[in-house]
Amino acid sequence: MGVPSRSDDHQWSQQHLSHYVEGELGPRARRRLDRHALGCVDCGRGIKAMRALVYAVQGLDGLAGVRAPATIFDRVRLATSGGSPSAQDV
Amino acid sequence: MAPLADRRAPGPAGTEASLIARAQAGDVGAFERLSGAYADRLFMLLLRLLGDRGEAEDVAQEVMLRAWRGIGGFRGTSSYFTWLYRIAVNEANRALEKRGRRPPSVPIGPDELRLPGPATDDPSRQAEFSELRRALARALAELPPALRTAIVLRDVEGLSTQEAAEIAGVSQAAFKSRLHQARLRARAAIGDEALVTSGG
Repeated sequence: MGVPSRSDDHQWSQQHLSHYVEGELGPRARRRLDRHALGCVDCGRGIKAMRALVYAVQGLDGLAGVRAPATIFDRVRLATSGGSPSAQDV
Repeated sequence: MAPLADRRAPGPAGTEASLIARAQAGDVGAFERLSGAYADRLFMLLLRLLGDRGEAEDVAQEVMLRAWRGIGGFRGTSSYFTWLYRIAVNEANRALEKRGRRPPSVPIGPDELRLPGPATDDPSRQAEFSELRRALARALAELPPALRTAIVLRDVEGLSTQEAAEIAGVSQAAFKSRLHQARLRARAAIGDEALVTSGG
């Protein structure tokens, strides 16, 4: 396989920013992206943006004070007025 | 029975196993205690996937009914939580298919999307965070359901890739692909400038 061109590196780096911040790239791939981002303003900024995105989405925590409605078991209760559960595929 | 807010997680695995066994034997109280421990989290998941409180309430009831009807077939090859979440994702997708359209453009009020607050009292920084919050809500709402599910399970819920993939019903490789696609699309929708300025 030949040496990738600069534009190949750029496209490849843009496609792998999420893998990069996730820590999923192997050492060679990580070095490739690091090397490219050093000289590429777009990709350097892209890494920061992807990290900020993941941080922001992670900040949408699981509950945020929202409670399940008190009616959540209403259908179960309606169904059990008639008997016990049977094994079914769900 | 105790109100939802008073319920605690079943606790040690032995306790959960015992509740599962009792529920499988037809004890609806045990089923409610077992599933009620995850009710708030499950409801929030449905809110995020469906983007509509009324629909999330309806689907949450259906999830519990399906779980009750299916618990006899639960064999414990995954955790109860994973099993219940998978039912929830399936039901949410079913509801979205039935709806025949994408989730609304702004799914739930931005105030419910609790981002980490800015470490400043500077009104302009706070305004940037509010704008990022709205942009994030819009970006997630516009993702196709499969990509939205991936980003919600992995990044919002903080589940491991293995668990999230199991819940989504796909291989880990397929799940990762969806997650990365979802992040790329969300990044493109929000824009690097807004992300770096507000989230940096």
